[in-house]
Amino acid sequence: MARITLDNVSIEYPVYNASATSLRNQIVAISTGGRMARQVGNIVTVLALDGVTLDLREGDRVGLVGHNGSGKTTLLRTMAGIFTPTKGAIVIDGRVSTFFGLGAGVDPELSGYENIVRMAMLLGASQAQARASIPDIEDFTELGGFLSLPVRTYSAGMQTRLTFAVATTLHPEILLVDEVIGAGDAEFQAKAAARMDAFVEKSSIFVLASHSPALIERFCSRVVQLEHGRMVQ
Amino acid sequence: MNTGLRDFREAITLLPKALYFAWSDTKARYKRSVLGPFWLVLSTIFGVVGLGVVWSILLNADRAEFIPSLTIGLIVWQLISGCLAEAPAIFYRQSGQIKDINLPSFFVSFQLVMRQIINFGHNLIVFAIVTIVYPHHASLLAFVAIPGLVLVVANLLWLVQVLGYVGARYRDLEPLIGSFLPILFFVSPVIYRAGQLGPMARVMAFNPIGNWISLVRDPLMGELPNAASYGVALATTAAGWSVALWLTTARRRRLPYWI
Repeated sequence: MARITLDNVSIEYPVYNASATSLRNQIVAISTGGRMARQVGNIVTVLALDGVTLDLREGDRVGLVGHNGSGKTTLLRTMAGIFTPTKGAIVIDGRVSTFFGLGAGVDPELSGYENIVRMAMLLGASQAQARASIPDIEDFTELGGFLSLPVRTYSAGMQTRLTFAVATTLHPEILLVDEVIGAGDAEFQAKAAARMDAFVEKSSIFVLASHSPALIERFCSRVVQLEHGRMVQ
Repeated sequence: MNTGLRDFREAITLLPKALYFAWSDTKARYKRSVLGPFWLVLSTIFGVVGLGVVWSILLNADRAEFIPSLTIGLIVWQLISGCLAEAPAIFYRQSGQIKDINLPSFFVSFQLVMRQIINFGHNLIVFAIVTIVYPHHASLLAFVAIPGLVLVVANLLWLVQVLGYVGARYRDLEPLIGSFLPILFFVSPVIYRAGQLGPMARVMAFNPIGNWISLVRDPLMGELPNAASYGVALATTAAGWSVALWLTTARRRRLPYWI
């Protein structure tokens, strides 16, 4: 039973500029007492999410829309359990797989095969499961002999194929996707769409952040619009 | 301590994965070089031969005594300094693992320490060669070095975690440690042994790195390490792990925002 519940979630984080992240300024701040500390501690805080309340259940296919910087990626990272809300509460039930662009764990010097295992293991698979997923990924990506070559030789579209295939092969209960499917060619888009259909049919939660109305229309049954970190719709 | 302990426990269950990644990172690093990790072995051999010849003359030391001691000192020092040098940047270099995937932060620290242990394993070849050339100190006492090494690794684990957190927040830490490491090499008993310092040896007792090295070196040189060295290493383990768990508890939530 996959489920994500966000209750009035706000995320506010400090952005440390060069002067705030330097140890010297901290030491200076301590040694010169309060006033100086206030001067050097000019930390900008960003309110990335502001009172978001959402209840996602099995079978939900949610499209996140909004301008650049409206909080889509922050919301996805929160749903993945990576960002902890500074206010409000979140409950995440289910195995999460994320697809946030170039996969975590990818080492450009290693071959496609080695990177499949690395990415899959980071997403929660055991080494045996990761290896077992290889035929499916070979089949889906159609990268053929390129899978034996270092990933640094891949084009952006080929990397997208690889990371998307790994993110979806593990049958996650919750799949969070940020944009990026756009980098693939038309043929890949069609394949990705078919794979996502199959995935959503297994009645799990799927969240897609995208600027493409066509993609949102195609995959999502529900649209959440963000504006300056607030849900407007 | 809850968050810190949970982070630690999760990382323990992921230990085989951390090992796989450490191994895979090592392979990636040397992918296109012919000698691969054996470059490290070669550089240790150069160090042993070069420093061995010069310093055995300078210190007027017997080579059969000096070279094995220097070799072990250098190998353990490389293990420690490798962790020290990379630890401050570990979280922001691996930001993908922290920002894109919900992984325990200890996982990243374990990965670094294991990578350094893999390098250490390669370097043992140099120790084996030196032992064949100068076998005088080989004895059953050498096995006492194993618990010593375990204690050193236990200390490196907390050290990497603490430096990683502080380094993620304060980016000056990496160059700071980088500039201190060469001095640390000379003020720690790597080339020489603490006993050779005469009255200064007492001061050296406060250098934890010196004590850590002794725990591995003394048994391999056919002596039992000082009880005081065990005391210092156990104390730094307890204190360091407390700090590491406290820091993880207090700052784990902030970590993704820093990197």
